[in-house]
Amino acid sequence: MLDESKPLFIAVAEQIEEGILDATYVEDEPVPSTNELAAFLRINPATAGKGLNRLVDAGVLVKRRGVGMFVAPGAVELLRRRRREAFTRTYLVPLLREAARLDIPPHELVQMITKEASR
Amino acid sequence: MNAIEARDLSKHYRDVAAIDEVSISLEENRVHGLLGRNGAGKTTLMKLLTAQIFASSGSMQVLGEDPVENAGVLSRTCFIQESQKYPDGFRPRDVLRIAQKLYPAWDQGLAADLVADFRLPEKRAIRKLSRGQLSAVGIIIGLASRAPLTFFDEPYLGLDAVARRLFFDRLLADYAEHPRTIVLSTHHIDEVSNLLEHVVLLDQGRVMLDEEADALQGAAIEVSGRLAEVEEFTARSEVLHEARIGALATATILTDGETTAAAARAAGLDVAPVSLQNYIVHRTTAAAPAAAR
Amino acid sequence: MRYRTVIDMHFVNRMQAYGWPLLVMVIALVIVLSIGAIVGTQGAEVRAEMYEGMTWSGAIFSLLGPLIGYGFVSMGQYFPLALGLGVTRREFAAGQSLLFLGNALAYALLVTLGKTVEAATGGFGLGIRFFDVFYTGTGASWQTFVQTFLLIVAVLFLGAAITSAFLRFGQPILWISGSLLGLLGVAIVAGIVLVDGFGGRLLELLTLSWGSWMGVIAAVGLVAAGTWVLLVRRTQVR
Repeated sequence: MLDESKPLFIAVAEQIEEGILDATYVEDEPVPSTNELAAFLRINPATAGKGLNRLVDAGVLVKRRGVGMFVAPGAVELLRRRRREAFTRTYLVPLLREAARLDIPPHELVQMITKEASR
Repeated sequence: MNAIEARDLSKHYRDVAAIDEVSISLEENRVHGLLGRNGAGKTTLMKLLTAQIFASSGSMQVLGEDPVENAGVLSRTCFIQESQKYPDGFRPRDVLRIAQKLYPAWDQGLAADLVADFRLPEKRAIRKLSRGQLSAVGIIIGLASRAPLTFFDEPYLGLDAVARRLFFDRLLADYAEHPRTIVLSTHHIDEVSNLLEHVVLLDQGRVMLDEEADALQGAAIEVSGRLAEVEEFTARSEVLHEARIGALATATILTDGETTAAAARAAGLDVAPVSLQNYIVHRTTAAAPAAAR
Repeated sequence: MRYRTVIDMHFVNRMQAYGWPLLVMVIALVIVLSIGAIVGTQGAEVRAEMYEGMTWSGAIFSLLGPLIGYGFVSMGQYFPLALGLGVTRREFAAGQSLLFLGNALAYALLVTLGKTVEAATGGFGLGIRFFDVFYTGTGASWQTFVQTFLLIVAVLFLGAAITSAFLRFGQPILWISGSLLGLLGVAIVAGIVLVDGFGGRLLELLTLSWGSWMGVIAAVGLVAAGTWVLLVRRTQVR
């Protein structure tokens, strides 16, 4: 369920980010509490809390005293922008490397992408 | 505050050092893992900290005080021993009744729930219980005592998969609601690794590793690829384990932060995470030949 | 008061603390009574002779076996559990001492009562002696009570002390103490055989006044209790 190659709290934060991007959690609505998250993911509450706090620091979540954590207004836009920045490194570089191994020149790759997208 | 503070703690049995100058600090209200192979000294250390046995040298503070003959500390400390002996004729309900009187924060409702969950035959003689049922008796006392400091020594012994999951979930739920210091000592590292915040690894009575669990998660990676490339890449790193098949190789190496994995990928190698369990196994087996010399 | 919980622990298995000593004693009594019933059929003279001879019957000592066993078990089985549940050694020693004293009180009362009834009924009408023997005292009832109480307390603490010594020093302590006792026995026998007047002196020593004997028993009890208290504070749970 969680990405094991990273520290657990980062994996927790990423999972919440995914939830925000696919609208499981909506802006201005609450996200699960530390203890709910811990019980659901079967991890230490402190780790869950650390993951949530990481998102607070990044401006993705806001803490409302006594109520809990909420998705910050503009969080979706913020996440998209950040993910776009990482897109090249996480997806394009490996794609081009594999393409080079298979002798697929860039212009052919573009054709393949266009074709796949129009399906 | 630290729940446990040990300085140069040693326990000698004749000429054998079961615990050899151990210095550790375990912060309160966290879940600590006390790991190591059989005979590494885990149980001895916990027995020292709970004043079941006496130290040969060194000092310790448990919940801020010396635990030896200290009723104030020991009534707030619960040590669930894998090898706890019970007098003839005792039944689980007798032990639970006595534990209830000894632990001020005992929750009888929780104890009753757990007895039902584990399907513990309360009125059967303890002598006739299975190993798993015996472990359940300990787990129930450990959780229901709500002691500010609780040690679990091999709580999983003889438990089936359902009971293991039950223990994990009930521990997690109760810990979330009633934060306290938990020291978990087990060989089932994979089962509890998501619960541990801090890990102490003992080897031959000494502290081999004393780290935050977060730091250990990325501490090692497994890289694989062509033998020459793997060897070239791992030349600069500390290799914990290596396996070869034909012209291919897999190596477990220590990382210098997150950059190592990226560098390995850039070098065309496949990168896989190393679980805490495997990391511990590699660390302890890598140390064995060095110690034997 | 956590020492009370130590006492509670002993009420879990009442058979171990009270059942066995009583059962063993009752069985011994029943055997003696049966003998009395059989011998009684041989006529009044034989019965009177038996009544006289049974003054030296040691059947009452059957009570001491399970009691010393109880002393062993308190250290061997209850001590590890008490410490495992966070009781201090001091608390354990306090609770256990009170239990020993309470037990001794109960058994001493029982024996005294038995002796009184036995003496009043001429050996339960069968002309036997079980309680009313030389070892339970030849004086007044209160003397019987004091004597039995001291003896039982000494035996209980001795059992606990032996087990603590075993836990503390391991097997060798048993060999050493056993050998020392054996040597003492050999020395006494050798003394009687080889040294003139040794036997006489010994006899003088053994025919102390009642009060002095009580002093001796009390001293043995105190040494045993002291040894136990000293050792239990240093005993580790393996």
